[in-house]
Amino acid sequence: MSKENKKAGSGEKKGTLGRWFSRLFFPNKEMDIYAEEALQSPARMVAKSFFSKPLAVISLVLLILIMLFVFIAPSFVVLDLGEQDSTLVNVSPGYSMMDYPDELEKEGIADISVGSNFSAGVDVNGNVYVWGKTKVSRVIDVADVPKEVQKAKITQIAAGFDHIVAVDDKGTVYCWGNARLGQTKLPQELSENNRFHNFKITKVFASHQFSAALTDDNRLLLWGNANFADIGMDKELYDGHVVDAALTDTAYVILTDEGAVVYSGDKATSLLSTGIPEGAKSGVVSIAATANSVAALKSDGTILTWGVTTRGEGSLPAFSAKPIKIEGGRYHYTVVMEDGNVASWGHNRYKQISVPGELTNDSVDVKNIYTGYYQNYAVDNNGEIHAWGLKGFLLGTDDLGRDIFARLVNGGKMTMTIGALSVVISTIIGILLGGIAGYFGGFLDMAIMRVAEVVSSMPFIPFAMILSAVLGSRVSVEQRMYIIMVILGLLSWPGLCRQVRAQMFAQREMEYVTAAKTIGVKENKIIFKHIIPNVMSVVLVSITLSFGTSMLTESTLSYLGFGIPAPTPTWGNMLSNANNSVIIQNFWWNWVFVGLIFGLSCVCINLIGDGLRDALDPKSNER
Amino acid sequence: MGKYILKRLVYIVIVFFIVSLLMYALYNLIPGDPAMVEMEPLRKVLKPAEWQRQYLEKRAELGLDDPLIVRYARWMGLIPDVGGTLNGLLQGQFGDSTVYKRPVIDVIKAPMVNTILLNLFSTILTLAITIPLGIYCAVHRRKASDSAIQAVTVVGYSLPSYLVGIVFIYLFAVKLKIFPVGGAKTPGSTYTGFAEFADRMYYMALPILVLVFIGLAGMTRTVRAAMIDTLTQDYIRTARAKGLKEKVVIYSHAWRNALLPVSTSIMGWIISVFTGGSLVIETTFALNGTGRLYWQALNNTDYELVLAMQMFYTVVSLVGVLLTDLSYGLVDPRVRVNK
Repeated sequence: MSKENKKAGSGEKKGTLGRWFSRLFFPNKEMDIYAEEALQSPARMVAKSFFSKPLAVISLVLLILIMLFVFIAPSFVVLDLGEQDSTLVNVSPGYSMMDYPDELEKEGIADISVGSNFSAGVDVNGNVYVWGKTKVSRVIDVADVPKEVQKAKITQIAAGFDHIVAVDDKGTVYCWGNARLGQTKLPQELSENNRFHNFKITKVFASHQFSAALTDDNRLLLWGNANFADIGMDKELYDGHVVDAALTDTAYVILTDEGAVVYSGDKATSLLSTGIPEGAKSGVVSIAATANSVAALKSDGTILTWGVTTRGEGSLPAFSAKPIKIEGGRYHYTVVMEDGNVASWGHNRYKQISVPGELTNDSVDVKNIYTGYYQNYAVDNNGEIHAWGLKGFLLGTDDLGRDIFARLVNGGKMTMTIGALSVVISTIIGILLGGIAGYFGGFLDMAIMRVAEVVSSMPFIPFAMILSAVLGSRVSVEQRMYIIMVILGLLSWPGLCRQVRAQMFAQREMEYVTAAKTIGVKENKIIFKHIIPNVMSVVLVSITLSFGTSMLTESTLSYLGFGIPAPTPTWGNMLSNANNSVIIQNFWWNWVFVGLIFGLSCVCINLIGDGLRDALDPKSNER
Repeated sequence: MGKYILKRLVYIVIVFFIVSLLMYALYNLIPGDPAMVEMEPLRKVLKPAEWQRQYLEKRAELGLDDPLIVRYARWMGLIPDVGGTLNGLLQGQFGDSTVYKRPVIDVIKAPMVNTILLNLFSTILTLAITIPLGIYCAVHRRKASDSAIQAVTVVGYSLPSYLVGIVFIYLFAVKLKIFPVGGAKTPGSTYTGFAEFADRMYYMALPILVLVFIGLAGMTRTVRAAMIDTLTQDYIRTARAKGLKEKVVIYSHAWRNALLPVSTSIMGWIISVFTGGSLVIETTFALNGTGRLYWQALNNTDYELVLAMQMFYTVVSLVGVLLTDLSYGLVDPRVRVNK
């Protein structure tokens, strides 16, 4: 297709390739029925026949929709490859995390506490409500509130990672939820056979694997997994002086009656202990904690933060008035100010600091805020709840706490890109070699066909695995992606090559080629302008079907661990992740959605291929 | 015919050497020094100079300094190794697995039994179902039952096998609890004789089911298409015109001829099953077969084992292609190969 060739043509503006396709599907000009019958190209008849098959057309539309979806959606659903969070592991699909019960709002809120994927609330009558993703394990559901708790008049509640601590008006402490790590095992002083203790519980706390209770004689009682969390305490030093506490994931700090923040645990070397700023050693009125940092609110309204503040926990916004209460989520803080406005700062991956407009522009006066993990609940003067933060995940999360929806669309993009590009590679090789072999024949034909036989006689999956293992072991994900494309392309051309060759053989002997030769058309023009357009239909079917096969092969390779490695998602390695009886059984959302969309794409591709094949082969119409 | 087979055999041998040379060269791209591996423990015992001398000796002993083609020929057993003996693939020396510390042949034996059992049963079952089913579909073409079966087969041959595996595990192992989720035998069991066989089959049942489901889909379509083609032939019209009963026409005249093209695609399908088809299924079900062994070996970078198995796969598929070509001639006298 040289430039001279184009000039020599009859002055069309489109390229040769463009003309093939336009001629393939659209008639050049209006003509009467006889002329059309005489002139209708085989390709247009094929197109007509294809579009008369409803199943094939539906599949084509579906496949185009899926492709548009996986190629457009990733620009909106951005994937953060390093993202994972132990508190968001295996969350079931749905947006129910902030669906607080209306009765709670109606009755009047006494307390709300946010747990990992669920929240718990108490109304003024002492009734307990639990909402969100309450199943914290296969068998444990924190929404199963124990009988005695239902009977008691609960005044305060604290939700942790997978358990809930509550205290009633008599000062009895109740725990339920996951008990495996001792987070619900009350210390001796609070246990049932010691109900009539001479102190009252004023506040309860719950964190990842431990819990705490503050007594009215200013003592902090801690219980839970001491191996995971630093829950030791020098009782002689601090008993009688604790007025508040804040629990991070694995440690806690206390606020003493002198207004100082103290790290009273055993691991004095931790950043939470060594990083306490001078200012936090007096005049502190309120403390709060995120997963790994602590914030102290001083009486003059200044806020000090320390600990691990890599997610923006330390970058305070400008406050419209003096903050009066501070609460901490997993990676963010929220304060309520004197003018009834609310401000949040920190990590915003799940919109946990996107405070609703009415809470920042004086239109609503916020009375109290409750923050934890990824949600915030603000209660205004009318007793109405304003909630913001993480609603949930459309398709749930996987075993590392990654959003399956984001992985699904990005993985689809990956799978389809690899499928498409490897088809391009194999098609180019196939047409080129097939064309050469078919047109020139002789020794070239023999040599090419032997090579094709060698390639096609090698077992595909094992060979692709080896190549991927050997070539792709020390390269980046992107390079590996290209390597896989090339491997798939290099291994799958023989089929098309053979088909093109056979077609060339047949076309070469046709009268129109002889005629073209007779009137002196150049050889390369005969090949590209006369023969190849007639072979295009075969190529089209082959492209469709091998796109499906390439996608399948890529996903199989990824599934076996020799394709694109995790954390980069593809549909194959997402399904590989699900190949585990525990996940298949309990966390069905890990594989069902991927399986559905992948299966649907494969079925569509095959139906389109079948439709095209039937359209091309008039004989098969009878089937 | 004999000349043709001979020609093809020569061709197979050439291809085998080309492929094996390619594979061997590929493996030599992987950085790694067997002499260093053997000498590393001695590094602290010996003086540096002495160690260096022994290391170089070891390299010479293992023939690591020779050109690639020489090492390949030694590995293949075409020329004597450094010690002067022919000791390569052709003499049956497949080398030792670096992970199992045993000859490759020993490592492959037990999984091979599993793979053969798995493929044997699934092939027999698939054929027993698919041939009647395909004929039924062809005869009842475009009726509701045919359309339904067609729909199922499209799904069956479109889906990746591991997805079918996962769905089957969910349905039959998790929900219905009929079969175990995976494995090759009851852990800790000491069955013998028939009990052992029954236990093995119990664990193999679900993988077989999956393979049958996948195979069924493709094969049924092939049988159906072949049968439809046959039913349009002139001799079928003749048979009908003679007044033969439809049953006789189908079961006596048509189906035997319809199976001619089918038999060859059966061959091709069996080969694909042996070389890679059951690899995915074995991995999904943690069934101790050759496919899974190959997968593990690649994961463990046990390249001696991988190389030997790759050679096995290559031989199987090359011989398979030959058998497929020959079976054309065997089952259909019209296309008897005689070139």
